[in-house]
Amino acid sequence: MIKQYSGISPNGDLLLIQKLSEKLQGKSFLHINSTREGGGVAEILSRMIPLLLDIGIDARWEVIEGDSDFFNFTKKTHNALQGDKEKFTKKMWDYYYEVNKRNSKKLDLSADAVLIHDPQPAPLIGFRPRSKKNLWMWRCHIDVSRPMESVWTNLKKYVKQYDTAIFSVSKFAKSMPKVDEFIVTPSIDPLSDKNRELTEDEINEVSERFGIPRDKPIILQVSRFDKFKDPIGVINAYKIVKKYNDCQLILAGSPASDDPEGEAILDEVKEYAGADDDIHILMMPPDYHKEVNALQRMSDIILQKSIKEGFGLTVSEAMWKEKPVIGGAVGGIPLQIVHGVTGFVVYSSEGAAFRIRQYLNNPEMARRMGQQGKEYVRNNFLLTRQIRDYLSLWYLSKFKGKNMIEL
Amino acid sequence: MEIGIEPFEFMQCVSILKSTGKFAKNLGELRTLISESGDESIFHHTHQYFIKGLILEYTNDFAEWAGATLEERALAERLSCIDPYILKSVSEVRKKLIREIDGFLADFPEPRDVLTGNEFYLNETVSLVFPVGVTAENLEELLIIVEHIDKSSIYYHFFDSRFRLGEGVVDDFSRWIEHGLGKQYLAEKIRAIDPFVHSIESIRTHIIEVIEAHLRTKKDGTSH
Repeated sequence: MIKQYSGISPNGDLLLIQKLSEKLQGKSFLHINSTREGGGVAEILSRMIPLLLDIGIDARWEVIEGDSDFFNFTKKTHNALQGDKEKFTKKMWDYYYEVNKRNSKKLDLSADAVLIHDPQPAPLIGFRPRSKKNLWMWRCHIDVSRPMESVWTNLKKYVKQYDTAIFSVSKFAKSMPKVDEFIVTPSIDPLSDKNRELTEDEINEVSERFGIPRDKPIILQVSRFDKFKDPIGVINAYKIVKKYNDCQLILAGSPASDDPEGEAILDEVKEYAGADDDIHILMMPPDYHKEVNALQRMSDIILQKSIKEGFGLTVSEAMWKEKPVIGGAVGGIPLQIVHGVTGFVVYSSEGAAFRIRQYLNNPEMARRMGQQGKEYVRNNFLLTRQIRDYLSLWYLSKFKGKNMIEL
Repeated sequence: MEIGIEPFEFMQCVSILKSTGKFAKNLGELRTLISESGDESIFHHTHQYFIKGLILEYTNDFAEWAGATLEERALAERLSCIDPYILKSVSEVRKKLIREIDGFLADFPEPRDVLTGNEFYLNETVSLVFPVGVTAENLEELLIIVEHIDKSSIYYHFFDSRFRLGEGVVDDFSRWIEHGLGKQYLAEKIRAIDPFVHSIESIRTHIIEVIEAHLRTKKDGTSH
């Protein structure tokens, strides 16, 4: 399987993966998160686990279970960690711990390395088997740069017990004593249904199925219907552009089982869009990866106008398809969009509208930035690079305090 | 291959970013950060800037932040002119950075804060160095390998060597070409490639051009 990436991923990444897999051969690597489908984490894990198995790592993916009270609480903490003000009670935090405790009894937590994804399963560290000398890492995928302090304080009680914390962007890191904090950007899989090459027939089939005419430029944003993704701001940008250039807008997203707010936001967006035939709002099942791929490939410009963002991998997905991109200046988006080189970073709906107009009226510039974007993704945001980084961190944990290790 | 010449062994270097958790929100704080940080951080934000492989406006992270975020372009220009590879040590680079910032602060004593989220975040790296598994025994082989090798290998042999090998040594390629192959003129041509104004890919192209030109002249019987 890993061989399929030869000629697509940088050779250096593949070589290091091979060398590290020799060092870590047969060792166990457990990943735990809170949903099997929906959202970037589940998507990456579904691709990464088979690849780890293929290179001889005994990889396992477990998902914690919880009821609606648990997921309503974790959604609130998610929002509060990204800066919203929410109300919490001690009872809620106790329940959060209880659900994790219940999960700890059902899950086999023994492994040479354990990677816990996001806050939902963070308290599992309290149930770390003590018998073996293993590595426990907490992987934060969300923007915790300006959290509601009391929520971070509560979560930190668990996070500070880990050996290593991994953040997507430097400014999310927390400076916790005794915890090694690393920066590992997430990634896309160039061979998945969401990113592989599609035939023109496959693209046409999707445009016909969703009723999207190809007779005018398409502007697209793909994301959960979440206020932090600013779908209303995207519609505002579209409405400004429409005064100057004829175009159509697609807002496409899917529900996630751990996000109870999605439906309310979707209703709000539909109402705001009104009866404009050129606005297409598509709610798709989470496994519509090929459809998302086709929507991206049929689009002329792709937006990720988030106002809060963990990383915003849809930007890399779009860049991989050589599309000109525009993204909000938050989270990991400026890491993917080198302003003026691989796309444009914006701060407002008006700014997004201006950049859309620039692209629409300068196709040569749009094409050039799209090509540069693809190479930038190849070198920085492919799945193989993330596997390389996780294995490196695991291997490096044996050489604590050293900055240069020879393999 | 001539007897006694060690083959050129291609190595690769991959760095993983490690956060120090420290940050600065204005120039005064950046000065403090630079003066108090470990050598690993200064090394990362200056020497390792070139691993990004993009040609941006400035030549180190401090200059980039001063120019793009603080919008102090005069200071960014001064910081960008610091060549970490000709200075003897990381602490020399640190001193030079502080001197430039102090000079600027003397004229503009009231640094303003950047917007939240745009602070300078101090990092360091942990690097893994390993052999690629290919060696060159002569110039022709070196040329073929340079054409195809991963760019992190070019970085290791063209940039990292300047720090790794100490004063006076520029890059691994020219060192091997001069001392291994005895081709001083060609070595000088490679040393003349300015590391500050090219991306890694463009450095690869220049090395290839220089070696190809040399091989052509050798064929024509006009070798140096």
